[in-house]
Amino acid sequence: MIRNVLSDIGGVGLYGVISICLFVTVFTGALVWTLLQRPSLMASLGHLPLADGERRRNPEGDSHHE
Amino acid sequence: MKTETFHYDNRIVRAFAIATVIWGLVGMAAGLLAAVQLFWPEANLQLQYVTFGRLRPLHTNAVIFAFVGNGMFMGVYYSLQRLLKARMYSDRLSWINFWGWNAIIVGAAITLPLGFTTSKEYAELEWPVDVAITLVWVVFTLNLIGTILKRRERHLYVAVWFYIATAVTVAVLHVVNSLEVPAGAFKSYPIYAGVQDALVQWWYGHNAVAFFLTTPFLGLMYYFLPKAAQRPVFSYRLSIIHFWALIFLYIWAGPHHLLYTALPDWAQSLGMVFSVMLVAPSWGGMLNGLLTLRGAWDKVRQDPVLKFMVAAVTAYGMATLEGPMLSIKSVNSLSHYTDWTIGHVHSGALGWNGFIIFSMLYWLFPRLWNTRLHSVRLANWHFWIGLLGIMFYAIPMYWAGVTQGLMWKQFTPDGFLQYPNFLETVTQIVPMYRLRAIGGSLYLLGTVIGAYNLWRTAKSGVFEPDVEARAVIQDAPRQAEHGHRWIESKPVLFTALTTVAILIGGAVEIVPMYLIRTNVPTIASVKPYTPLEVLGRDLYIREGCVGCHSQMVRPFRSETERYGDYSKSGEFVFDHPFLWGSKRTGPDLQRQGGKYPDAWHYNHMEDPRSTSPGSIMPPYPWLLTRKLDTNALPARIAALRKVGVPYPPGYELGEAQAALAAQARAVVANLALGSITNAPPDTEIIGLIAYLQRLGTDIKAAPSAAAPVAAAIATP
Ligand code: HEM
Ligand code: HEM
Repeated sequence: MIRNVLSDIGGVGLYGVISICLFVTVFTGALVWTLLQRPSLMASLGHLPLADGERRRNPEGDSHHE
Repeated sequence: MKTETFHYDNRIVRAFAIATVIWGLVGMAAGLLAAVQLFWPEANLQLQYVTFGRLRPLHTNAVIFAFVGNGMFMGVYYSLQRLLKARMYSDRLSWINFWGWNAIIVGAAITLPLGFTTSKEYAELEWPVDVAITLVWVVFTLNLIGTILKRRERHLYVAVWFYIATAVTVAVLHVVNSLEVPAGAFKSYPIYAGVQDALVQWWYGHNAVAFFLTTPFLGLMYYFLPKAAQRPVFSYRLSIIHFWALIFLYIWAGPHHLLYTALPDWAQSLGMVFSVMLVAPSWGGMLNGLLTLRGAWDKVRQDPVLKFMVAAVTAYGMATLEGPMLSIKSVNSLSHYTDWTIGHVHSGALGWNGFIIFSMLYWLFPRLWNTRLHSVRLANWHFWIGLLGIMFYAIPMYWAGVTQGLMWKQFTPDGFLQYPNFLETVTQIVPMYRLRAIGGSLYLLGTVIGAYNLWRTAKSGVFEPDVEARAVIQDAPRQAEHGHRWIESKPVLFTALTTVAILIGGAVEIVPMYLIRTNVPTIASVKPYTPLEVLGRDLYIREGCVGCHSQMVRPFRSETERYGDYSKSGEFVFDHPFLWGSKRTGPDLQRQGGKYPDAWHYNHMEDPRSTSPGSIMPPYPWLLTRKLDTNALPARIAALRKVGVPYPPGYELGEAQAALAAQARAVVANLALGSITNAPPDTEIIGLIAYLQRLGTDIKAAPSAAAPVAAAIATP
């Protein structure tokens, strides 16, 4: 509706194109990188929250994998 | 392997935990009071301080920044130390963070009821508080980065990335959106006007949702869910993809709050495309959370922590399916301004944020106090009552939203509006407002039960302020690491990259708006507000009228029939701040000027039901007696000139007051015509009437500047 507003700066649609391109690039990069990681590393990273090094046993019964 | 012994700081976690519970109760009580006022306006207790317009921002600030904010800090301060195997970088910074943040909230609880507000949603706090927020946030960020730098764990778990992204993005958003010029101790005008102001505000507003209500809590989900289930997250790979996709998409989605407004088309389409794409990473994250529990559903049945967590993650999934849907232009044309948005907000807020916070609280209290949860049964009661509360909140809101949205658009076969009287569409949904209040009461009741249970838990145990922990000392950093592992071992670089990512997103969205500053077609007949109107507009801001009334007629036949000509971007060039609004509890006001006589407004503000039987608008009797603050005028005119409104130099030094007095006399004369003969010319109501009568009239004086109107009007 207000397309006429912007007719003054040329090629503003370009901004949309830039955004999509940037997104696709970054996303593909992250995807490829992630898929290339060693499964063992991924598994060990996934375990980080479970090993916090706390030295007390909780009555609620956390088992710490360390 | 050498090991090292150190201590986690639990005191700071406890402080944030207690603040979370207290502010939760306060914020929800404020929400409930607001909900009741929407079917029973007298519930404002005859006090201007808790009348809906001022109460609504009090509610949103209390729940978002106080309840959810403290809950976020609680979870971050607990999990960060343990994920990095290090105490927080500086105890002093931790406590400045705590007391600073909560002092800001107390500041909000005082200034908002007094009517000190910028009117921008989720950024209502005035400039002195804005400065304080910036300082406290910097303290938090330094503490976060400092801890990361002195960590004993080489790798950064994905939750920590979410925290970094949160810290950086919120800082940028807050600063950019709060650029304002002070016009007194608690008054300011944004440097942006109209369309630009709207775009910056919703770039902020959307990302406040994204980076305050969502990313930190996803980080917390990735910590507390595996912790409570005692198993690693379903797919660590997926969590990484989730992270990058989310922060990159979110930053562009803001314009979905401004669909079909006077915002340029390209920005609207951009917002829509990115919002729809958001469903993918969001659901990836939800599934990742839920699948973590595969094979452990029996635990979910017994453990309230997991119960709340599962419901929270499911609510996240629902809100993030609904959100992209609401971003589709045709859906938004129906949902925008209605209670559908309110339903969406609260299924996210009550379901996702609320429940994940309760989950963390139930998990943390027994551990902080070294004991067992006082009562699992009560926690289960809390869960079911809370869930019922959400249902009773959300379902009536969807019903009300769709019903009212359709009524606004309904035409008779002869082409007239079926419900030309806006009020008719309101009275239709008042029963839904009653049901919503029941839902809110249930949710609040659940929270009270939870607070009691947590209190009893704490009493039954012994608090351990410093928990001893042991970690292996890392050997000197390896060289030659590659890929993300390399970035991740360089947190400062990672932080810089995240910042760049979000800045690019922001810039692509906002830079063109700067460019059009000079390109918004100036409509010759659009003039700055007169001094009396400036003060009147500030009253409109003070009373929070924007919480219920939009000033943005969308280009639909149903709206132009009801309100008049649709809104043009050129009409707002002097609007610091913009007042488009996001909810129409009452009708749009952009074309209000000249619609009714001055006396009508006088009577209506004193008692809305005298002119509009059945209206749910609160009365504003104090406007009829409070004196107009003409002393503030010079500072305000000067500040407005500074942000770009072309008042002649020195205008405020005498001329402005004379103009104000003359216009006030004219309003008084008009009132006398409507047989209101005793109106003093120096009361606030005079200023407000002057402003209301000005609204949207400039364009009417224009000699048909809007030729292509007919062609441009969409009929959805
Ligand atoms: C007892 C619980 C609650 C009740 C009864 C309640 C009630 C309300 C009411 C009546 C409104 C105004 C709606 C309107 O203008 O039509 C509102 C707005 C809002 N509430 Fe709540 N609320 C509750 C809890 C929460 C929580 C826990 C959060 C966030 C974590 C929240 C976030 C919001 C937000 C963001 C808005 C503004 C929505 C918008 O502008 O579109 N509320 N609430
Ligand atoms: C993929 C995710 C999401 C998308 C694309 C999305 C999209 C939207 C859209 C289109 C609106 C309505 C704008 C309007 O018509 O005015 C909206 C409003 C809102 N959403 Fe979401 N949403 C998402 C997730 C969430 C979540 C998880 C929460 C809460 C935790 C949330 C909180 C809100 C709030 C508070 C508003 C009200 C803003 C206002 O004051 O008008 N959203 N969202």
